[in-house]
Amino acid sequence: MEPLAHPLRPTLDSEQRQVRDLVLEMGEMVDVAIAHATRALLDRDVEMASQVITGDADVNARQAEVHEHCLSVILTQAPVARDLREILGFLHMSDELERMGDHCVNVARIGRNLADLPPLRAPIDLAMLSRTVAAQVRDMLNALVGRDIDRAREIAARDDRVDRIYHRIVDDILQLMVADTRDVYAGTQLILVAMNLERIADRVTNLAEDLVFLETGNVEELG
Amino acid sequence: MSAEAFHIEVASDMVAAVASDAEPLPEIVVETRGLDTWYGDFQALRKVNLSAAKGRITAIIGPSGCGKSTLLRAINRMNDLVPGYRTSGEILLEGAPAPTDPAGVIALRRRVGMLFQRPNPFPMSIFDNVAYGLRLERRRSRRDLAEPVERALQRAGLWEEVKDRLERSALGLSGGQQQRLCLARSLAVEPQVILMDEPTSSLDPIATLRVEELMREFRDEVTIIIVTHNMQQAARVSDVTAFMLMGEGRAGELVEINRTRELFNRPQDRRTEDYITGRFG
Repeated sequence: MEPLAHPLRPTLDSEQRQVRDLVLEMGEMVDVAIAHATRALLDRDVEMASQVITGDADVNARQAEVHEHCLSVILTQAPVARDLREILGFLHMSDELERMGDHCVNVARIGRNLADLPPLRAPIDLAMLSRTVAAQVRDMLNALVGRDIDRAREIAARDDRVDRIYHRIVDDILQLMVADTRDVYAGTQLILVAMNLERIADRVTNLAEDLVFLETGNVEELG
Repeated sequence: MSAEAFHIEVASDMVAAVASDAEPLPEIVVETRGLDTWYGDFQALRKVNLSAAKGRITAIIGPSGCGKSTLLRAINRMNDLVPGYRTSGEILLEGAPAPTDPAGVIALRRRVGMLFQRPNPFPMSIFDNVAYGLRLERRRSRRDLAEPVERALQRAGLWEEVKDRLERSALGLSGGQQQRLCLARSLAVEPQVILMDEPTSSLDPIATLRVEELMREFRDEVTIIIVTHNMQQAARVSDVTAFMLMGEGRAGELVEINRTRELFNRPQDRRTEDYITGRFG
């Protein structure tokens, strides 16, 4: 589906494509950052954690580019209706993705802090939470490419599952901390990791709302 | 929203306003019902239902040749002398059929003023331009005329610029000033409606903004219908926008009429969306 064909407005068309490509690129970078930040934490890989932290600058740079293009389109092309929503929608998506990148940096920082400390006395399934959140991000990017609002609504509805995993992890960690106070520091840090991952999933719901707005003009509260 | 649906919505607006007292009644001043017009064999308009309410600026947009100007001229009966021109359907002014006999048309023009694409001041003094319509109403003494002339010039935002040279020729004014003078000339006879046919297309951006600002200022007193090629202008100044398009046999049809914000945000008809986003036209 290619609804953007603008035979009479090639400049607008080209700007819109560039904005969309940049946003998708940001999405792919965030997807990788989630996986790497979690792996760095679980594998105690300080170098990988550092790469996630420095790599966030690239996400930020793309967000700045998106802002620049959107501003230029609004100033020079006076978009209306769907064209204006497209620009505003992608502008907001770039902000959400930039924040998702920041959540990954938070996870990577905690990973770097915990690398030298002994592990918790029982396994916590953060990998599962991370995989579920990353899958949400990837699905949302596909929905965006296909401009599929039904899929976007389904993805937003699946946020419940992320919330359930998150709450279970927090409960597990709390029990460990209650049982052995030596786990309190690491446990608190891991709760923060879970919280950052859960926040990424919440922002996926915002992306779904953006796509619905972009396609229909309606502001829908999903999730 | 379709033209018909908009009528229904306006009616339900009225009910809501009566019930809640929240919104003033939208008083329909100009209305066409199923208006068809022909120039000889060529049908220029087909089944046009347009309504323009008091206190709202109504913009008509659409590509060249879609009948925007014909519709405007039909309301003011300016096409009546064109050979082969005829109409069917209704044109209502405050709910009553617009007059068709010659004397009635003169009275109609007093109630319905018109502003054209290029300013057309008469080759006489600034004062006499504005006083022209008033003199037709047999108000002849200079003292009688001074006050309404000043008021009209003030409403048109021109008084401060011309008060010291009222006796000079109007042709010496700039384009923007001339257009505001024409506006003052229309306003002087206190019309109920002013029809504007691309009133700023020959003006520079600053003069354009001044005219637009004036429209907003007196829209509560005068019902304004503006035809414009400039969609940004329609979005800026109007409360309601109507989109027209050439239909079968090149006859102009009203595709959609809705509140301006809605029409430019979420047009109901695909053809409207394609036009306003620049996909054709």
